[in-house]
Amino acid sequence: MTETVKITIDGQDYHVPKGMNLVDAAKLHGIEIPTFCYHPKMSPAGMCRMCLVELGSVQKDRESGEVLVDENGEPLVRWFPTLQTACTQTVHDGMVVRTQTERVAEGRSSIVEFLLTSHPLDCPTCDKGGECGLQELTMEYGPGESKFRYEDKHHAEKHVPLGDLIILDRERCILCARCVRYCDELVGEPVLGFHNRGRDLVIETVSDPPFDTVFSGNTTDICPVGALTTADFRFGARPWEMDPVPTICPHCPVGCNLTADTRLSADFGGKRAIKRIMPRQNEAVNEIWICDKGRFGHHHSRAEGRLRQPLMRRDGELVPVSWDEALATVAEKLVQHGSKAFFAAGHSLANEDLWELRKLARQTSRRAKLGLCPATVSGAQAVQQAGVGVGTRLQDLGAGDALLVIASDLYEHAPLWWLQVKQAAERGATVVVANARPTKLDRYAAHTVRYRYGEAARVLHNFAAMALRNDKLDAELLSARVEGWDALEEELKGSRVPAEQKSAAEALLEAQNLVVLAGNDGMGFEQHAELMQAAANLLIVSGHVGRANNGLVAVWPGANTQGALDMGFTSEAVGEAWEKPPAMWVLAEADPLGEDARMAQAFDQADFVVVAAQFLTATARRADVVLPVQSFAEREGTFTNGMRRVQRFYVAQSPLEGTLPAWKAFARLTERVKDGPKPFVAAEQVMQEITEKLAPYAEMSYANLAHVEEQFPPIRRDDLYYGGTAYENTGGLGLQWRTDAESPRKRLSVRPVERSARRWEGLLAVPLRVLYDRALPFAASALMDGHVPAPYAELNAEDAAALGVAEGDRIALEAGAARVELTARVNGHAPQGVVLVPQHLGDVLIAAPETCVVQKIEE
Amino acid sequence: MTHILLRNRDIPDIWQFETYTANGGYEALRQAVTEMTPDEVIQVVLDSNLRGRGGAGFPAGRKWSFIPKDAKTKYVVVNADESEPGTFKDRELLEKNPHQVIEGALIAAYAIQASGVYIYCRGEFWDLAHALEERIAEAEAANLAGEDILGSGWSCPVRVHLGAGAYICGEETALLNSLQGLLGQPRVRPPFPAQMGGGLYYQPTVVNNVETLSNVPWIIRNGAEAYRQIGTERSSGPKIFCLSGHAANPGNYELPLGITFRELIFEHGGGVWKEKALKAILPSGASGPILPATDEVLETPLTYEDVAAVGSTLGSASVILLDEDTDIVWAAAKMIHFFKHESCGKCTPCREGTYWLDRIYARLLSGQATPHDLEVLETVPQQMDGLTLCALGQFARSPVWATLEHFREEYEQYVGLREAKAERA
Ligand SMILES: Cc1cc2nc3c(=O)[nH]c(=O)nc-3n(C[C@H](O)[C@H](O)[C@H](O)COP(=O)(O)O)c2cc1C
Ligand code: SF4
Ligand code: SF4
Ligand code: SF4
Ligand code: FES
Repeated sequence: MTETVKITIDGQDYHVPKGMNLVDAAKLHGIEIPTFCYHPKMSPAGMCRMCLVELGSVQKDRESGEVLVDENGEPLVRWFPTLQTACTQTVHDGMVVRTQTERVAEGRSSIVEFLLTSHPLDCPTCDKGGECGLQELTMEYGPGESKFRYEDKHHAEKHVPLGDLIILDRERCILCARCVRYCDELVGEPVLGFHNRGRDLVIETVSDPPFDTVFSGNTTDICPVGALTTADFRFGARPWEMDPVPTICPHCPVGCNLTADTRLSADFGGKRAIKRIMPRQNEAVNEIWICDKGRFGHHHSRAEGRLRQPLMRRDGELVPVSWDEALATVAEKLVQHGSKAFFAAGHSLANEDLWELRKLARQTSRRAKLGLCPATVSGAQAVQQAGVGVGTRLQDLGAGDALLVIASDLYEHAPLWWLQVKQAAERGATVVVANARPTKLDRYAAHTVRYRYGEAARVLHNFAAMALRNDKLDAELLSARVEGWDALEEELKGSRVPAEQKSAAEALLEAQNLVVLAGNDGMGFEQHAELMQAAANLLIVSGHVGRANNGLVAVWPGANTQGALDMGFTSEAVGEAWEKPPAMWVLAEADPLGEDARMAQAFDQADFVVVAAQFLTATARRADVVLPVQSFAEREGTFTNGMRRVQRFYVAQSPLEGTLPAWKAFARLTERVKDGPKPFVAAEQVMQEITEKLAPYAEMSYANLAHVEEQFPPIRRDDLYYGGTAYENTGGLGLQWRTDAESPRKRLSVRPVERSARRWEGLLAVPLRVLYDRALPFAASALMDGHVPAPYAELNAEDAAALGVAEGDRIALEAGAARVELTARVNGHAPQGVVLVPQHLGDVLIAAPETCVVQKIEE
Repeated sequence: MTHILLRNRDIPDIWQFETYTANGGYEALRQAVTEMTPDEVIQVVLDSNLRGRGGAGFPAGRKWSFIPKDAKTKYVVVNADESEPGTFKDRELLEKNPHQVIEGALIAAYAIQASGVYIYCRGEFWDLAHALEERIAEAEAANLAGEDILGSGWSCPVRVHLGAGAYICGEETALLNSLQGLLGQPRVRPPFPAQMGGGLYYQPTVVNNVETLSNVPWIIRNGAEAYRQIGTERSSGPKIFCLSGHAANPGNYELPLGITFRELIFEHGGGVWKEKALKAILPSGASGPILPATDEVLETPLTYEDVAAVGSTLGSASVILLDEDTDIVWAAAKMIHFFKHESCGKCTPCREGTYWLDRIYARLLSGQATPHDLEVLETVPQQMDGLTLCALGQFARSPVWATLEHFREEYEQYVGLREAKAERA
């Protein structure tokens, strides 16, 4: 129970949590105190002076502490002589507030008048017009007219690009510093600042490159006016002309809830197009924030290169054919190849697509294998046993809790989780970051653990050994329902734990709640399987499973890796396909030839390749039949995020003619293979079937997934207090499926991880993923082009010297079947003996660590 | 009379370390550090009733006593931003009697067991700041500052920092931001500088004016009782009055608090220049309300309480005289222009209020103002009243309302100008 204090607002007593901000406390009880600069997730600035109230405190006898009363028995109140800003007050027992007096109204009206008289009042052409905090509060609190002379108005620059994504209008800016504090405090990247003073005070960007953060777009939502607008939406449409459609970000495992604002658009053939992407509140997922990839990455759905017709190879060329012809040909080939056909899905295919692909595979052959591309992850079972408890919210973790981030560069792989882990650290949670290389999160870590590539699982194994050694085991759980403990215990006893790992482990094992976020940075799927098992071991033996805010979060590479694993698609299957190349490939939104040089040989002998894709990827170019499928924007479906939350997205944009949602294409194929079942008409029916056949999804009807409830802080689109122009959630909060640990009757199992770490000889090329890359479909969002670097490799100074390579040199790197030319960056990021190679910047086809040879290219 | 603060007037070479020490310099620090506990030092200063000379008159000892004893890191910051129009006392102290400032700051630092002293100088004090660093080096060489002061085990380095010439950076929380390398804008209070979270680098911090601290060595050496003999019951001690404007002999005058305006201006300051009549007084630079030079005002003792009682403030006691020929509207326009120029822009009412006031004064002076402008001039200060984040926004109101209150007819003449022009046309 949180401690409460009693305050009085407008004559009414309220009990509110101790230490709360007065504006929030009032909000909690439905009392509106108007604000411009205050934001409940940032420190108060006291700048706008809009939140004025009369403030006093009940007088108490110094000795006895008793409340002093007047002759009528009313408590004596000592009032501040002047109005006070509510946003700079913390509630305390006996606080007395008046929000409705004449004096308060006059004060607020003065402030609004001041703000307006320096404002350009270009509402008719302002992007914020219709959803503007200044407009709202002016209507409610402002004076009828201004006494100041229009021609004396202050003028300032109206078009100041803060980088290429955000444009600032200095005339509209009311200098509330919400954008500045957002960057400083929430994101920890102080890239905006003030310049000059007085009426000449202006916002500017102080970073190079400008506005250098992946969270820049959020400032446009919380800006109370139309001073910050996004480059792609500016003057694009008026808020009231648009239809908001709930959707889910397809770019990373966080699964940020989005709203697509849509409108019939001349530049889209008069059809419905997404005009902008806005955050949608989900306090358990993204709160009200999203990253710029999610906000600006949707342009790919309308890009030039989208496929609009099935293609078939004729005389060596891919030529357009009808769907009927394409499907008939593929079906025929499937029947022909039967069990020699191989099916592979990408990481951002919707659950409905995956399910229908699986059905197609089964219809083709009972023994059909389901692969996941890129084949870099494993660990479905670890998640099933030890995944984070239902109801987990990273924002609930704070002092006394711990988060371990291992083998992930969260900022690049799951930006919102990075933000939330950082904030948990600032609330007092212990953050441990373990990686073979430094990452941006290290700054917030209480302990940083460095391991050598190949040894990640060892670290967690050692942490589990510390649990045993320090008596931090959940003995009850272990004895009641854990299999394999004896063998594991034997192994743990023999572990030698390095000192830095000891202290990190101790810090973690002290915690009340423990969440492990595990990625696959710098490893192949075999090592990832070990890492995930080691994570499950640690969480199970220490008892951090089976309840909210405890357990494993998989930092998967894609928005629906979890769904793919749930449906039985695995990297291991792809591994087998390398060994024994299949005669026929069916690939859905997967591009193995565009990301992994090892895959080429697996295609050499293939008789027939079918690719379902939005764009003509490298693999599609090799295909015999290409099926044009729809993007997330044009169809409905569900994704399962890295916390196993199944979330719905809806039809936002008119589908391109000639395309089908992938699930429909597969269902129609299934029908043609050996008289398969008739296709469903709607995605909802597919989900219905999933719920019947896939145990964890038993509760996931479209209706249940669409369920919403009240969230705090509350947001309304006309209330800039918290969400600004972020959307309230009308599309559903989604549902997490239950882990085995949460079902008391299910048994859990642990097993020792491979003792010997994977070692490589010589110089090691380690691929890494960066947020902004040239992977399709994201790369088709031309807006982001400027943010994607040219292909480069990072070396440390010693290795560079040994190779005779200097910063900026061109180098040739050969690793296995991959050969690539890159620009060298010499810095402290790469451990010794390692070349870090970001993927998807060009033709970097290295998908897992591999020994390499580096040579300088002489000019 | 011999001086307590401006001892340089009696001993010209006192800026030199040897001269200063030969005349009892650093004895007070020695006495405090070697013979007194920190609490005893605070008690003496409390008993002396030394009040802050930076403007607000807050008792120095009280401020020191607010510093939490258990805080590990604490600071003393010397406010040498001296930017109030008509104020030039701190400059003389720092230039001519610098060791006394350093000694006072170190005694304060000892009293709160500070880990460091920062002297924040206004940007224009370039030469002065560099000379000050040499003086500090001398004190350090004599083991009076820096490591293990006088063998007591207490260490306290003293550092000088130059601002960039902004009036707002004299406001103590803006000063702290500036010192930290942040934008010079005031902070939200609480927490106050003396509290955890409110001071320099968010550690408890005492911010005192140069002149305030210059009193401290004398108080330690002569005791609180002797100090209270000077000045009045509630406004104790000597004060440096900065006399300027249309004064016959402008300059700094160190006199006991409680002398009257008349004594200061006519007995000590030689009266008004060119033998003109005195029209009005600005008792505290641009920040305090103007007072017409009535007999009642001239007989008012210069104490914190008495000046307030006649409707103004003593502030930092920068007394600016305005002779009979002064155009009050012009004077007010100058002051408003100053505040508009110096407003940090952080809070709405000050940023916008000073901007609009400045525009109206520009119209007044150019003969463009209408009676409506006069009405607006009256309401804007009300719209700022009590609503600004820091005191600058409140200071900025007084040139308007006080001149309007006492010299309204001059405004009406300006407005009349326009009417007359219109008629002629
Ligand atoms: C706008 C503004 C400017 C100020 N300028 C100065 C200054 O230049 N020097 C100074 O000592 N105090 C100045 N002050 C007062 C300081 O905020 C603070 O009260 C003072 O430094 C405290 O020291 P004291 O208690 O020794 O007077 C200023 C206050 C305001 C609001
Ligand atoms: S740009 Fe917007 S958020 Fe930033 S200070 Fe201006 S009004 Fe506030
Ligand atoms: S954090 Fe991930 S899910 Fe959220 S908007 Fe960014 S890319 Fe999309
Ligand atoms: S009152 Fe003026 S100087 Fe003070 S914070 Fe506000 S804008 Fe800045
Ligand atoms: S000052 Fe309180 S909301 Fe701006």
